Amino acid sequence: MNIELLHRPGNTAAKVTLQPGETCTAESGAMIAMSGHMEITTTTHKKKSGSLLKAVKRVFSGESIFLNHFEPTDKPGEVFFGTDLAGDMIDLTLDNENLIVQSGSFLACEDSIDIGFGWQGFKTLFSGERVFWLNLKGSGKVVLSSFGAIYPVEVDGEYIVDGGHIVAFNETLDFSISKAGKSWIHSFLGGEGLVCKFKGKGTVWCQSHNPGSFGPLLTPNLRARKA
Amino acid sequence: MNSEQEDLHEVALKGHLSGKIRGSQAFSYVDIDLEPGESLTTETDAMSSMDADVDLTAAFNGGFFSGLARKFFGGESLFISRFTNNTDQSRRVTFVQPNPGEIRCKTLNDETLYLQPGAYLASSDGVKLGLSWAGFISFISREGLFRLKVSGTGDVFYGAYGALLEKEVDGEYIVDTSHLVAYEPGVSLKLQLAGGLFSSFFGGEGLVTRVEGQGKIVVQSRSISGLAGWLNPKF
Amino acid sequence: MTTETCDIVLSGKLVNGADKDQVQQKLGTLFKTTEAKIAELFTRAPVAIKKSVDVSTAQKYQRAIEKAGAECVLKTQQPPVAKEQQEPSLSLVPMPEQQAEKVEPTGVQKPKKPGYDFEITGQPDYSFLTVQIPANETLKVEASAMATMDTNIEMKTKLKGGFGRFLTGESLFINDFTAANGPGEIGIAPGAPGDLLHQYLDGNTIYLQNSAYVASTADVTVESKWQGMVKGFFSGESLFLIRCSGKGDLWFNTYGAIIEIDVEDDYVVDTGNIVAFTEGLEYTIRKVGGYKSLFFSGEGLVCRFSGKGKVWIQTRSAAAFVSWAHWFRPVKRK
Repeated sequence: MNIELLHRPGNTAAKVTLQPGETCTAESGAMIAMSGHMEITTTTHKKKSGSLLKAVKRVFSGESIFLNHFEPTDKPGEVFFGTDLAGDMIDLTLDNENLIVQSGSFLACEDSIDIGFGWQGFKTLFSGERVFWLNLKGSGKVVLSSFGAIYPVEVDGEYIVDGGHIVAFNETLDFSISKAGKSWIHSFLGGEGLVCKFKGKGTVWCQSHNPGSFGPLLTPNLRARKA
Repeated sequence: MNSEQEDLHEVALKGHLSGKIRGSQAFSYVDIDLEPGESLTTETDAMSSMDADVDLTAAFNGGFFSGLARKFFGGESLFISRFTNNTDQSRRVTFVQPNPGEIRCKTLNDETLYLQPGAYLASSDGVKLGLSWAGFISFISREGLFRLKVSGTGDVFYGAYGALLEKEVDGEYIVDTSHLVAYEPGVSLKLQLAGGLFSSFFGGEGLVTRVEGQGKIVVQSRSISGLAGWLNPKF
Repeated sequence: MTTETCDIVLSGKLVNGADKDQVQQKLGTLFKTTEAKIAELFTRAPVAIKKSVDVSTAQKYQRAIEKAGAECVLKTQQPPVAKEQQEPSLSLVPMPEQQAEKVEPTGVQKPKKPGYDFEITGQPDYSFLTVQIPANETLKVEASAMATMDTNIEMKTKLKGGFGRFLTGESLFINDFTAANGPGEIGIAPGAPGDLLHQYLDGNTIYLQNSAYVASTADVTVESKWQGMVKGFFSGESLFLIRCSGKGDLWFNTYGAIIEIDVEDDYVVDTGNIVAFTEGLEYTIRKVGGYKSLFFSGEGLVCRFSGKGKVWIQTRSAAAFVSWAHWFRPVKRK
């Protein structure tokens, strides 16, 4: 499976080239175009494994219950993936490790990756992030997406990320809900409010922008909707 | 784990602060490396990540009364955030504007720049934010009665929705009102109809701004109202 | 489909901190040509300086060009079906020089591409089109897209395309911009964030998705075309395509970045991601996979193109953005 990311970081598309026999699993609705001989099957779980329980858990993480599997017949084929909103993608190669991913940021992965459920405790209720997370496990390639550009931060000690800006992080990191700077009052008056403080050693991938900040800017110009 | 992450379209800062504007025009964000004792002032809720030991203090935007004035007349927020590095090593703060689009840095050297409401993002010490009367023309075009005047010596960061294009004006030029982002003091603004009466209102252009004089203007290649105009028929 | 060839494209941007004059001088030396000619290339950027070269050669070019301080992008492409002849071809010094002859000697006004002079900046996410309208000529532009213009340009609103255009959900109006008493410049910004593409029509026909039209010159015919009940109905996008034919410049835009696909046998595109395609391609609207996929894959119906031709696809679809933006609409009070 070969991954090429096009037009980063604005409206990134992932071009995945598959050899016969290779399968790529993707979030439902992500396909934008593909070779004519690409087979697509839809399941509630990973091909040849997994259970309905996992699928139900995935729904709790804000993902769709269904996954699509792409497999070319006879000869190599290509498939392009996109996302709902504008934004960046990154491709990572996992080497028998765990990656905690913000639900909604998972786009596609190799067949060898297990997509599980990553509970991060009730603190996420306050973080401005979604409450549920995905846990990607195993060895192989994964593609993650975001609204905004994605930048990695190597944490060694402590680092602060504003709520709503986390895409993924290594399992070796732990985070807590905290304030920006020394004072709670200033953190709130400065508009930052509650932030996530990461501790340990590892990488956290952040998204530069946050759709929740952009949306309200549109409101004054949009046509009114019925309640 | 290996991430094949290459840095995309960075612009290194050459002014007072050290850092980079990253993320290309699509999603510009700014990494500032604050030296010990250095400070950065930003619009509220602009920080997306930072070193944990950077200090944040919130302050009124240029004092209580002018803060209020800026909030109600200049379209800016009442508070501003001040990030200070009180450690003895370089510390990073990453900040961003709420909308996608390009961010630019202008280094002022005892100069003045006028910004349209909402364009101001951050500045280094030595940059003064002020309001000045923009005239009724600006009010009619829904841009507010006051305009934001940044002056002094230091770096100012401003941004908009879309890519930013610079245009040197010498004489007259017409800009759709929603596309103007910033301009130098040498140019003045006037309002006029885009075409005849019929065309102006049914052609979707309405009022346009006539820029006169000599100086640089900065135009955004998209506008929020244009985006809304594209979305609205689709709901 | 194979991708072993690519185009070398000069994006027009400079590597950080590079000085434009110096870069042009260096490139001039590199390509054994004049600085003026390089400068001219920059005015038309992004411009392909060499088409369909193998990847390793292209990378060699890219390294050399970027070392000189100009940003260079490699665009992979499927083996070209119809080559366009308008692009000048430049070669690195050690390579044979004969292609360079296609470029006009300096001093002569721009290599005479047919059509108006124009520039596209802000690519690929917020592309902005600047067109130089010759004296007393007229450019047709979609309503509300004008962003800047010279003061001698006159605007007139016309009802174009009749009732059909009204039905496509597009604005009823196309504005005519005429350069009175001498040439004039107009800057055009479409509403949707995305890229802009230019095609010079020379008797050929291009079909556009209903909101992709941006601008065209006077002799391009723009009309709405009924897709037929079955095709249109199931595509879920609109019942109409915009048919552009005739002779002249045509600019169209995308929501998201653009990917050009040369269809050789058949290719599947999600209906929401089609921007434009050339006449001669057959297309049918189908479901993907089995019936389970139809209802649960999130892909629904797709468009299957067959035959030989080009399809332009966009990396995002408007429908997803629209449903996201819905929650930010103000609530109507009763």
